[in-house]
Amino acid sequence: MQLEILNLTKLYDQKRGLQPTSFVVKKGELIAVVGHNGAGKSTLLKMLANWILPDSGQVTIDGIDLKNRTAVVKKVGFVPEVPNLFDFFSVEYNLKLFAFLFQTPFPRVDEILREFNLLAFRKNKIQELSKGLKQRVNIGRALLADPPVLLFDEPTSGLDFEMTKELYRLLHTIHEAGKTILFTSHRPEEIKSLATRIMVLHKGSLVFDGSPQKYFQSEVHENLYA
Amino acid sequence: MIRNILALAFNDLAVALKNKTIYLILFIPLFVFVSLKLLDRTDGDIGKIRIGLLQHYAYAPQITGSVKAAEKIMEVTWVQNEEEGTRLLQEKKIDGVLLSNEKEPGSLALLVLKKESLPTLAIVESFSALQKAAEGSSTSWITDIKTLHEGSIQRQTLPTWILMLVLLVGFIILPAQVAEEKEKKLLLALLQTPIREVQWLIAKVIMGMVLTMMAILFLHLLGRFTVVNLFDYIAFIMAGSFCFSAYGVFLGFLCRNQASARTIGVLFYLPHLLPSALSDFSQKLTVVAPLLPSYQFYEPLKAILLEDGRAGNMSFELVYLFLVGSFTFYLSYLLMKRRWLM
Repeated sequence: MQLEILNLTKLYDQKRGLQPTSFVVKKGELIAVVGHNGAGKSTLLKMLANWILPDSGQVTIDGIDLKNRTAVVKKVGFVPEVPNLFDFFSVEYNLKLFAFLFQTPFPRVDEILREFNLLAFRKNKIQELSKGLKQRVNIGRALLADPPVLLFDEPTSGLDFEMTKELYRLLHTIHEAGKTILFTSHRPEEIKSLATRIMVLHKGSLVFDGSPQKYFQSEVHENLYA
Repeated sequence: MIRNILALAFNDLAVALKNKTIYLILFIPLFVFVSLKLLDRTDGDIGKIRIGLLQHYAYAPQITGSVKAAEKIMEVTWVQNEEEGTRLLQEKKIDGVLLSNEKEPGSLALLVLKKESLPTLAIVESFSALQKAAEGSSTSWITDIKTLHEGSIQRQTLPTWILMLVLLVGFIILPAQVAEEKEKKLLLALLQTPIREVQWLIAKVIMGMVLTMMAILFLHLLGRFTVVNLFDYIAFIMAGSFCFSAYGVFLGFLCRNQASARTIGVLFYLPHLLPSALSDFSQKLTVVAPLLPSYQFYEPLKAILLEDGRAGNMSFELVYLFLVGSFTFYLSYLLMKRRWLM
């Protein structure tokens, strides 16, 4: 699996959005996209998830253009910052609905419920769950079709310290299972030991792309977060 | 305390402005004003009575003489036969036709659209006055009133109720639901699956059509309304519900959230409902209303339910509804492809 991003651009006005950005994601990488609010992190991930259409540029996954949505949709799973589930239905209903649409057999739903410790909540309505549980259901849904690439937009947003730690453990487990992951964060210190690669966006431009060790020794970190 | 209340009230106003609710405050009085301007018969003054007389029928000389003398209040249209009179009546070019009353030879029968209407009352009163002035006797020239719209007063209101239901689903329920799915990013979640945009749109339109048909069926069961030309009726209900469901989905795509969708829904609901339903009472509205798809749905519905009309004679209306539905469906598809306001 290889994700190639070439001159991907989305500008809301002259200052906000993402300037032309190019990079390649290889199989098994766990990439943290870091930057302050408004740096263009979410815009980048949403374009990779087909939520936002780019102004220009191209994204391919294993050579297939991302514009061919139905062909790549099972290859990329996206977990947005705010869980987008049918609130008034149960956890099980939500997962089964999406499993049906993904043409995934229903036993996969039981697997997800088990893997994410959601069995006890399967009959609960989404609106009755805590933010952390909702996020788990959201991640579970993204994994239903077993996509090789997973995108997480601010996965720890709104979570307390314990839940943040639990979520990072979950990301680690998913990565260990062979998935390629891109996730955004505006707190680089937290993902020091987790990411295999760090990309820093600043005012819509990619200003650093390298290993965590190099990043924490670089001027970029000093200038942005010191 | 007052400072806080004022701050909150200003904030609420700002929210109302932002989600376009405030537009209703401006739009509804404006709409009522325009509608009242279009209603040409107010306070019981119906203007000139437009009466149809049969060319080949020998009306009593007192009748023709009185009608001629009353040219200031009465406009006469000579028609070839009863069929032509009926057609002009349906087109609202005349208010009534004077025919021979077969049950009571020598007297007249008045053919009107509706018995319980202002024009009918005006015709009967005027002829009664003319007859008294001409003959002074109490025997009325008009001894029977026939109506084109059959059935009880409850049945006569049925097309209006059905129009209301169809527009309610199309302009109030569907836009809010589409906007909710956009607002909560549920639509984007669904587009993360292999479904195609057009499948989602068709599902929404089908949902609207099913809701509409369920509501109409329920209304028929409750009111025990029967339909003579059932196939024609179902064809029009399907065409109308398709048209307004597709229209409603399109309106939902124009909005970012539910509050905006409700507002825009009402903005479309009233203009589509009132001119169509009020066109019975106004010549001016009869000219304007045909531009609206709701009128092209309401008039055939009225003909089928009240005059046992057939869909075969209303192919223009069927095609019109289908084209409006298809066009708005296509616009929704384009907006969805562009992830409009998502």
